[in-house]
Amino acid sequence: MSDLAIRTDGLTWKAGKSFTLDQVDLRVPTGAVYGFLGPNGSGKTTTIRALLGLLGPVGGKVTVLGHDVPTELPRMLAKVGYVPERPHLYQHFTVAQAIEYHAAFHAKWDANWAEHQRQRFGLALDRDLNRLSKGEMGKLMILLALAQRPELLLLDEPTDGLDPVVRRDVLSALVEYVDERKATVFISSHLVHELERICDWVGLMDMGKLVAEMPMGRFKAGVRRLKIAGVAPSPDSAPFTFLAREVRAPGVEEWLVRDWADGNEQWFAAQGATLKEVGALDLEDVFVELLRWARFDRRSA
Amino acid sequence: MFDRLDPRSPIPLYAQVADRIKVAIVARELPPGTLLESVRALAARLRINPATVVQAYRQLETEGFVEMRQGSGSYVREISGDLRAKEQRREAEQLVRALVKEAGDRGIHIDVLRAAFAAHAGATA
Repeated sequence: MSDLAIRTDGLTWKAGKSFTLDQVDLRVPTGAVYGFLGPNGSGKTTTIRALLGLLGPVGGKVTVLGHDVPTELPRMLAKVGYVPERPHLYQHFTVAQAIEYHAAFHAKWDANWAEHQRQRFGLALDRDLNRLSKGEMGKLMILLALAQRPELLLLDEPTDGLDPVVRRDVLSALVEYVDERKATVFISSHLVHELERICDWVGLMDMGKLVAEMPMGRFKAGVRRLKIAGVAPSPDSAPFTFLAREVRAPGVEEWLVRDWADGNEQWFAAQGATLKEVGALDLEDVFVELLRWARFDRRSA
Repeated sequence: MFDRLDPRSPIPLYAQVADRIKVAIVARELPPGTLLESVRALAARLRINPATVVQAYRQLETEGFVEMRQGSGSYVREISGDLRAKEQRREAEQLVRALVKEAGDRGIHIDVLRAAFAAHAGATA
């Protein structure tokens, strides 16, 4: 058993001449709930499709649950639950038929659990899939993925477009499953707030590149927005990592820093500047700032 | 009890969860012997990572508020007068800090706040 549920080395893919995955090195620890963030069109769905061997030949190396993709694809797929961005189910099925159909493909299918969860979700057996609401379809998709009892779940925007009540039910079912099976979850979303509470790892995609990957604690905890009055010192000798500065008014600057630690305040006093405020950023702020700086770096590179 | 968890806060989520439970224990909302909600149930209800709940429960155990019984769950302990007093002081400080900050943001001078506090404390004494 590997420590990494997903590993890609130099994953690269070109579609036509426009879109690429560019040297993506993912490291998803076994047992992590990994939030795969990025704006629309940044390459999240393409990456997930590459992990599932759906893209055809790609550059670089992809290993999922210790299996090489694509040479060991069938063995890997038997252990992976996938919820695509758009439901792919046959529209003329009823709920009962869809469950039966999926059960046939999966050796570890848990029929009791599926039935129990179906009742909790309030999905009627005789409903036609083409009559399901978007929310009901979302619930059915997660039910079908979880009933396979997968070791790894790949969820592509699983709650996109669902109302808050359904989103809640879907995420609760997911959390229960993770706790029960110690499964790894790889969940892509542009809804940052949704992932903030649930994920313990974060990867951030932008324009086909993985621009950041780290434990959630580090992603959030060390990042601060500082308000500085007086003559702002040079950040070169600072005990934290300086990311950006903005002049707000004459004599007032705002800094964005990471790796901030208690006691760093004193450095400003020693430099003869006044630190007026230390503000925490939520995940969405960090996300926006990191994208801004990733893009800025690329322009200046 | 958990309706004000704030992922934006610099206080880690596990510490916020532990804090809420501590407040409930000290206020005897959760009397000694109460079985805390299981990790799975609480994580699912709050839609947070189960590891976060485990971490919160561990902290409560380390600080002497709960007792983990193997295979059974976490139970609220009988807490000593000292621990209760210490915890209440901590909570009081937390409340005052928030109040002073809020007053400062509104430009209310500390003396005005102090006078209001004295008047109110006098009225409810």
